[in-house]
Amino acid sequence: MSSESSLFSHRWLPALLLAPLMLLIVLFFYVPVFQAFYWSFFLEQPFGGGSEFVGLQNFQRVLSDPEFWGATGRTVVFMLTASSLAVVVPLMLAIAADRKIGMSYPARNILVWPKGIAGASIGVVFAFIFNPFVGLMAPLNSLFPGLWNPGIDGTDAFITLVSAHVWSGIPFNFVILLAGLRSIPPTMYQAAAMDGAGPWRRIFDVQLPLIMPQLFLTFVLEFTESITSVFALIDTITGGGPGGSTTLLVYKIYVDGFRGFDLSGASTQTAILMVFVLLLAACQFFFIGRRINYER
Amino acid sequence: MVENARSINIVASILLAIGILYIVGPLYLTLSTASQSYEYMLRNGLAWVPGTELFANMGKVIHDTRIPVQMLNSMIVAFSNALATCALSFLSAYAIVYFRIRWAGVAFALILATIMLPLDIRVITTYQVASNIFSPLNAVLDFTGLNSLIEMAFGSPVQLELSVLDTHFGLVAPLVAHGTGTFLFRQFFMTLPKDLFKAARMDGAGPIRFLIDILLPLARASFASLFVLTFLSGWTQYLWPLVGASTPDMQTAVVGLARLVPDADGQVPDFPMIMAGAVLVSLVPLTMIAVLQRFLVQGLVLSEK
Repeated sequence: MSSESSLFSHRWLPALLLAPLMLLIVLFFYVPVFQAFYWSFFLEQPFGGGSEFVGLQNFQRVLSDPEFWGATGRTVVFMLTASSLAVVVPLMLAIAADRKIGMSYPARNILVWPKGIAGASIGVVFAFIFNPFVGLMAPLNSLFPGLWNPGIDGTDAFITLVSAHVWSGIPFNFVILLAGLRSIPPTMYQAAAMDGAGPWRRIFDVQLPLIMPQLFLTFVLEFTESITSVFALIDTITGGGPGGSTTLLVYKIYVDGFRGFDLSGASTQTAILMVFVLLLAACQFFFIGRRINYER
Repeated sequence: MVENARSINIVASILLAIGILYIVGPLYLTLSTASQSYEYMLRNGLAWVPGTELFANMGKVIHDTRIPVQMLNSMIVAFSNALATCALSFLSAYAIVYFRIRWAGVAFALILATIMLPLDIRVITTYQVASNIFSPLNAVLDFTGLNSLIEMAFGSPVQLELSVLDTHFGLVAPLVAHGTGTFLFRQFFMTLPKDLFKAARMDGAGPIRFLIDILLPLARASFASLFVLTFLSGWTQYLWPLVGASTPDMQTAVVGLARLVPDADGQVPDFPMIMAGAVLVSLVPLTMIAVLQRFLVQGLVLSEK
């Protein structure tokens, strides 16, 4: 029997099976994506008041807006700091949990818990814990007034956001990296040990090189994740403040679109953000992805 | 392998202890503060020791806020998201893997591309589509000129309107429009031996029978993993339910919880009550993780391969 015959032939059944998901994806993914690009060339009246083709004027307006560049800069800073921490912290924990020690069993269980806590819920909790008057830092604040106040100091607010993001990012990255570590064949360790490599040395010479595919993947996903999922944290912890110091692009788009009713501006920024995300992923695949050896 | 690994084991234990503390710490502080009174919190700040007010605070949340209704909404959204994603992804992966269709690769690529741009990025225009799900159809009719033909024939153009905002369907549908499930089932189908298919065909099984009697029972573990994953993701959504539902009675519990914190500064908010709300809202997903952890971990790993 040829491999071709190990498939069903049917005229309309496969189309019927695919139709429901495809319909939803076209309606709620491709149409919105297309519309964001389409609207970025039109001046759109809020909520159905007609539209007018304006060419690149929306882009000119957005790109000459210092607030847009501020939000973009903060997005890049957040992406780099938060996502590298959100990969490195789980990486260290995964390497530790991969060892046969008493702590690794409870750790494997507990470190998955944040997956069940919504970003907005942990945002509400962190807003309380880092509250300058009743939170964790309140005793220190009464000793050294003005030491910690995320409501006034933009850096403090930023730190709160990053620590909340790392908190909720632990489960996914930890599980992926640990799965990668556990799939390394024990003979690799034995061979390295024969060559005189101790357990510390093996982290850098055996484990890290061999989980490069997983590490690369967590980074690719984490970059997009940090840009988008931060919305819930910003909305519950800082509200974009103080003084716009935590207004990242995804939050600015929401504020412009749903509070300012500037649909053209919001769509234009959405289109720019989409291109940015896609370019980022493409760059990672072409420039870093190629150098990773997937063979074992 | 026998070797002296004491130093690294000690460091590893310390690291894991810090990690556990980092995860559990905020959860513990949430619970202990939720069990103290508002006056205690005003005097002492956040509570390190549990008090006796937990049920009183939870009672306040249940009686004075819309959280109970919103938890029901969350339940409906999370459950239907999980169910619909499982069913639709299973069917589409089946069509892509087991049928001889020329456009299978294209269909799979179109589905997979949804992973690249999350809902949070395209929320503005998704909202527009949800406010009238026939708007794409109207636009196509206008653009192709069909509408002017219809206008000539019947006197008025076709302008259908149906908003799914403020409905459970509207809250769920954009979440289901996602490719992870199809990807997961496709990976699973690829690992099944080809002989399984051949044997089933030889016994005279058609496409439907093969799907129901052979694939469905085999895919039980994949279903469980995807179900846990999508249930949790449905429950923890924030931005979409925030804009997709405008009345408190249609909002989900996570949005309702965030609304408990007053916007204006000034008086210190009733944090024990808010923390009791956070405990209530997280109870369902945390229980789910505790019971179905094996499937969650499996699902996370599978969705990545």
